[in-house]
Amino acid sequence: MALLEVEDLRIAFGSSTVVDGVSFHVDESQVVSLVGESGCGKSVTSLAIMGLLPKLRKSGRGGGAAVSGRAVFDGVDLFGLSADQMRRRRGADLAMVFQDPLSSLNPVVPIGRQITEVLERHRGLRGEAARKEAENLLDRVGIPDPRRRLGEYPHQLSGGMRQRVLIAIAVACAPRLLIADEPTTALDVTIQAQILELLKDLVDAEGTALLMITHDLGVVAGMCNVVNVLYSGRVVESSSASRLFAEPTHPYTVGLLGSIPRLDLPIHEPLKPIRGSIADVIRWGDGCAFAPRCDLVGAECVAGEPMLKGEAHAHRCVKAEEIA
Amino acid sequence: MLRYTVKRLLQLAVALLGLSLLLFAWFKALPGGPENRMLPDNATDQQREALRQALGLDEPIWSQYGEFLSRMVHLDFGTSLSSGRPIGTELAERLPATIELSMWAIVIAVGIGIPLGYLAARRRGTWLDFGAVAGSLVGICIPVFFLAAMLKVVFAQELGWLPTTFRLSPGLTYTEITGLRVLDGLLTGEFDVVWDAARHLMLPAIALASIPLAVIVRITRASVLEVVGEDYVRTADAKGLKQTTIRGRHIMKNAMLPIVTVIGLLLGSLFAGAVLTESVFAFGGIGSFVYQATTERDYPALMGFILVIAVSYVVLNLIVDLSYGFLDPRVRVRK
Repeated sequence: MALLEVEDLRIAFGSSTVVDGVSFHVDESQVVSLVGESGCGKSVTSLAIMGLLPKLRKSGRGGGAAVSGRAVFDGVDLFGLSADQMRRRRGADLAMVFQDPLSSLNPVVPIGRQITEVLERHRGLRGEAARKEAENLLDRVGIPDPRRRLGEYPHQLSGGMRQRVLIAIAVACAPRLLIADEPTTALDVTIQAQILELLKDLVDAEGTALLMITHDLGVVAGMCNVVNVLYSGRVVESSSASRLFAEPTHPYTVGLLGSIPRLDLPIHEPLKPIRGSIADVIRWGDGCAFAPRCDLVGAECVAGEPMLKGEAHAHRCVKAEEIA
Repeated sequence: MLRYTVKRLLQLAVALLGLSLLLFAWFKALPGGPENRMLPDNATDQQREALRQALGLDEPIWSQYGEFLSRMVHLDFGTSLSSGRPIGTELAERLPATIELSMWAIVIAVGIGIPLGYLAARRRGTWLDFGAVAGSLVGICIPVFFLAAMLKVVFAQELGWLPTTFRLSPGLTYTEITGLRVLDGLLTGEFDVVWDAARHLMLPAIALASIPLAVIVRITRASVLEVVGEDYVRTADAKGLKQTTIRGRHIMKNAMLPIVTVIGLLLGSLFAGAVLTESVFAFGGIGSFVYQATTERDYPALMGFILVIAVSYVVLNLIVDLSYGFLDPRVRVRK
């Protein structure tokens, strides 16, 4: 049985739907990614699973998110839990690493306290025991001289170190699922590799499942087992990482792969960007939402809603056979 | 932190020196000169010259300034022209009343303003938020002397719930320790004094608190709204922390920075409000003293008052700055 099973997830802010029936699953100890460009709904999906989206008020005003569908974690639908029950799970069973490590840490609280508070909350550790454990955690994420670092503030640490601290906080209570939302986007390229390596080591060592939210197919190739490509709030292609890179089926995936610089291509070969940009309003009902940007677009593409076809390697394209 | 404190203390010394220069210049620039006010109109030139020498007014200006400085440092402000008593004594007698009144006003303003501003921010767009914002607008708009007079008329004179004037009911015995009567009553166990002093304080303290309260509600609301949208609050939520922890450690600790700054600035305007409030309630503090000094052109008394107010303002702001360093580690380490 899957550790996390997301079924038909729909998220809307007011009248605009940003996630439109997304389903995927994460197995125990698996590394799964959600890939797509900005605005495809990948971050919102992760926030919905964590229960971190602003709640919808009874009056309907105030900009909350309307979430429907199911997110079954370990047999329990997270969307059916009360706010308090969810609070007890967050940080313990499922944890999250965010994109911007500077703004994601509280600037006026020593990092030691920011680690021990989660140990206190979910593992009941206090005082010296909590400090000792925080020190171990900092050591585990590769921060030198951890005892001294406990008393320091986020602004005294480098970007890479801050992200290590955030990772230490996330793994502090040995969660079964770790969600990483673009964990390397705000970092230098050299640091990016180190942080990915660290994440991989940690999940390998503990058998933690990892849901990686990214726009970077390089990150996917390096560490993920399964890839879900999102476009305009829907999964357009889903497969094992190796098959996706070997035989991309959806034109959007093909486009993403074509826009990555490669060392094995001739020097003056230009990159092939995907033309246009993602639309603000999702329209899947009248046909493929990617059609306006697709080179292979034909009459059948806009003749109705394209369905997700296939099992192990699923895709949402009516012209998939032509591409293959 | 020590470095920061020492630096702030040095800045304080510079500020006080500048203040003394200003005061001295103001005193020198006054028309007439003190010998004309102290002698009758028909005094001879010799008499005037003799007095000028006695007062040291014939000495060079810098040595007069030195003399002035040394007197200020020794808290020797001269004699009041209207009462004939030493100004230092007059101020020392009246200061506790003003301190007590201002303290209660700021306690009311902070104690109600911060929670109310927080609630307004967290329930943005509800009737509570609307009420707090509208109420604070009214609070800022009503002049202190008008509010003080209205409170006195309604609650003291018409309804008779609270006393109209003074700090204690006549005939009540009272043991003075600090001069803050509620505190003294608690220290000596004279609970009738505590109750009576509190009743006398209530109306003036509310009147004086109105503007700071309104400002604190507004600034807290704005500050909390900003902090709530920060990524680190989301991180705190993602950790599954209790809401009380998120509120205290992650929201309020950050939101306090602008609030503390504003409180420091409000303390200055509090003294101005105290002058008006005290005269409405015959509270017997420094406010009514300065009111009298102004109407009677008692310049030495005014100067003593200005010095005391300025020094306390500078010291209070030093405390605010130090607490800022305590709240925000980024201030502490800045070189």
